[in-house]
Amino acid sequence: MIFHMRYLDLKRKIQEIRINAIEGIAEAGSGHPGASFSAAEIMGVLYFRELRHDPSNPTWAGRDYFINSKGHSAPGYYATLAVAGYFPKYEMKDLRKFGSRLQGHPVRYSKLLERHSVPGVEYSGGSEGIGLSVSIGIALANHIDNKDNNVYVLLGDGETNEGQVWEAAMTAPKFKLDNIIAILDRNKIQQDGFTEDIMPLDPVRDKWVAFNWNVIEINGHKVEQIMDALNKASEVKDKPTIIIANTVKGNGIKHMANNPQWHGRAPHNLHIPLLIEELEGEILIAPSIIAGEKENYEEKIKKVERGGADIIHLDVMDGIFVPNITFLADTIKKLRPITNIPFDAHLMIEKPYEHIDEYINAGCDIITVHAETCDNEKFCYIREKVMSAGISLGIAINPETELPEWAYSYLNDIDVIIVMSVNPGFSGQKFIPDITSKISNLNRTLKVKGYKGYIEADGGIDASTVQRVYDAGARIMVAGSAVFSNSDINTAILQLKHKTNVTLERNLLKKADENSIRKDWIVARKHILIPVANELGIEDEINRL
Amino acid sequence: MKLTDCELRKGDMRSAYGNALVELGKRNNDIVCVGADTTDSIKTKKFGDQFPERFFNIGIAEANLVSIAAGFAIAGKTAFASTYAAFLPGRCLDQIRNAICYPSLDVKLVVSHAGLTVGPDGASHQQIEDLSIMRSIPNMRVLAPADSVSVFRIIKNIADIPGPFYVRLARPSSEIIYDDSDSEFQIGKANILQDGSDITIIGCGLMVYKAFKTAKILKEKFHISARIIDSYSIKPLDSDLVIKAGKETGAIITVEEHNIIGGLGSAVAEVCSESHPCFIKRVGVRDTFGESARDSELNILLEHYGLTEKEIERAVLSTIDKLKK
Repeated sequence: MIFHMRYLDLKRKIQEIRINAIEGIAEAGSGHPGASFSAAEIMGVLYFRELRHDPSNPTWAGRDYFINSKGHSAPGYYATLAVAGYFPKYEMKDLRKFGSRLQGHPVRYSKLLERHSVPGVEYSGGSEGIGLSVSIGIALANHIDNKDNNVYVLLGDGETNEGQVWEAAMTAPKFKLDNIIAILDRNKIQQDGFTEDIMPLDPVRDKWVAFNWNVIEINGHKVEQIMDALNKASEVKDKPTIIIANTVKGNGIKHMANNPQWHGRAPHNLHIPLLIEELEGEILIAPSIIAGEKENYEEKIKKVERGGADIIHLDVMDGIFVPNITFLADTIKKLRPITNIPFDAHLMIEKPYEHIDEYINAGCDIITVHAETCDNEKFCYIREKVMSAGISLGIAINPETELPEWAYSYLNDIDVIIVMSVNPGFSGQKFIPDITSKISNLNRTLKVKGYKGYIEADGGIDASTVQRVYDAGARIMVAGSAVFSNSDINTAILQLKHKTNVTLERNLLKKADENSIRKDWIVARKHILIPVANELGIEDEINRL
Repeated sequence: MKLTDCELRKGDMRSAYGNALVELGKRNNDIVCVGADTTDSIKTKKFGDQFPERFFNIGIAEANLVSIAAGFAIAGKTAFASTYAAFLPGRCLDQIRNAICYPSLDVKLVVSHAGLTVGPDGASHQQIEDLSIMRSIPNMRVLAPADSVSVFRIIKNIADIPGPFYVRLARPSSEIIYDDSDSEFQIGKANILQDGSDITIIGCGLMVYKAFKTAKILKEKFHISARIIDSYSIKPLDSDLVIKAGKETGAIITVEEHNIIGGLGSAVAEVCSESHPCFIKRVGVRDTFGESARDSELNILLEHYGLTEKEIERAVLSTIDKLKK
């Protein structure tokens, strides 16, 4: 499946949702971070890739409807609408305050209620269990009028304790409503604790199947899986679809994740800079399938998929720009149906502008070309093509190359900059130590210029080097031998993530010191810090607390 | 307005509702009707027979019923949602409040079998709290028409007025008070059926006819001139008319097929006590549950719960007596 989702831009927007939500909650002193974070990817995919909508014309007749039935995910919902452009982001600071348009639970926008609602909100949530029925009314109305507008409805799993949800669950199949797509945010936590303790929902899939729904189960934090499920749902006729999105409540902030205490609690304002650093510190592991044993690429892709790879790095080598030959667009096209994990095509070819259409059509999600193979005019041409296809745009630089001047004028459009930490051509090379300072200088320069994309480190990244490039600012790690030399790919990926995690925790502690909240921070994050206390050298300190 | 000779003709509120819906359906494609397994009884099926593509029976699921109606309104339709009064405001107050009234959606909740006159079904089916419940929700308007003619007119009126309405109908066929041709039923107004100077009787629903009949007895037997008001619009109430009646006649009797707490009597007392306090006596169900009665026993039932002409007469006489002292 080819998604045209501009993957990295989408990831950044979702990060922005979480940051805006948590800032609003902290400022308000209350709110629901857990539910906002478990649904961040779902809302992000809906608003930035799936829904037909127009923030400048919220009541546009051609729009798809989004019904946020689990009203308590309001901060995440508001943040999504703000990032999408329905209202200014600075208004998030008014969340839940007297006189604010951002009421504790979102209110359907109308002239009558414009003092208490923001454009784009279709439904007043807050009382659980009603939204699916409301969605049925909208879907039936569209059916009568022969309109193809879809209704997307987000349900909480605790919310489905409500009997009305099951009244509605019976109703939608009766009317063969294939224009309803329900998404269940299955984060397994409700206000009083874990859903399976409070009121067991499992086997939740069987229940919806028994109610005659088309059921798709996914990992609700993987945007490609959400995209895929939505695509499949749109192909089903005469039956409503529910996507059971397995999520983690509070996902994104480790001490909030899967922690019932954070269902409805606000972090302290002084913690916010640290939480933002953590959210921005998320790393993506991109195994390169040319590394390791000489087995076929299909096998390797399946292996890294099982191992939990975020992205699949495809080293395209033509034997001219680099001495080695690997594979070209036709191979990528053949590999595409195997997985929906994003394909990160790194074109080490002599004339990328002559072949760019082939890679676009092959189903790449990220296309990166080498600065050495382009000039301003050629890159501009590539950029145009790649972006209009809904693909993330990247530029790569060899160890000896600096980011060219002309590239700076495209920083708003570039999603990733690959900094080679070996000379491209062969896998298994040693990391060039000087690259760390190159990345960190580049990162500093780019930040000043407002670059929002990623830096990707490629070459010799393993457990011994990953912390350095992470610290320098790289957030996508191409891993070749480090992953494939390990018999268990999942362990290898987790090891890399663990390493960067330790670095992150160390940096967060440093920041906590700067903000004089060290003790408070360690207390809040104790269960996260204990397993890494030894590596951070804070064992005694934690034991004393 | 012209009044009919009440003794001669009877009409059925539910059929009037069904007929009004069909007329509305013909002239407006955006009218939809949602029912909950009572569509035959409540006569919305007539609409369903004519416009099957705009008629939805969603089974015995009232919370679902009113929420689906809200969804229709979100998508630009005018939705009529109907079932028995006992199950609608009682069972889905939260949905009516949050999904319909808060966003002020174009949903018309029209219920039948209001009050005690539901036949042998008993207290579980006798809705005597709905006016009180519905009246207290912001944005909701509450109507209780007195006969089939007013039902027909009122249903057609509210279809053109955006926002939520609650309209309660009674089950039995009842005396027709209004002439078909030129009676008016504006929201927020009441109709003076008969002028009078000694006392005012304000009724709603089936009790209007009883008030009207009592007035004749009062005139003939006691030479009391009673002003009779049909307050079909309980919220908004015609407060000007009510206050004026209080001022001019000195006392008000309210009559409703509803608990005396929170309904028409309370609404009248609220406006009078704030503007022009006068003596008010409420005739209604005295804060108790009802019970079964066969249709042939309807009069015994109403007598037992104090909803008869005799009871109104007693209230008038005791009030006048009290005021003389």
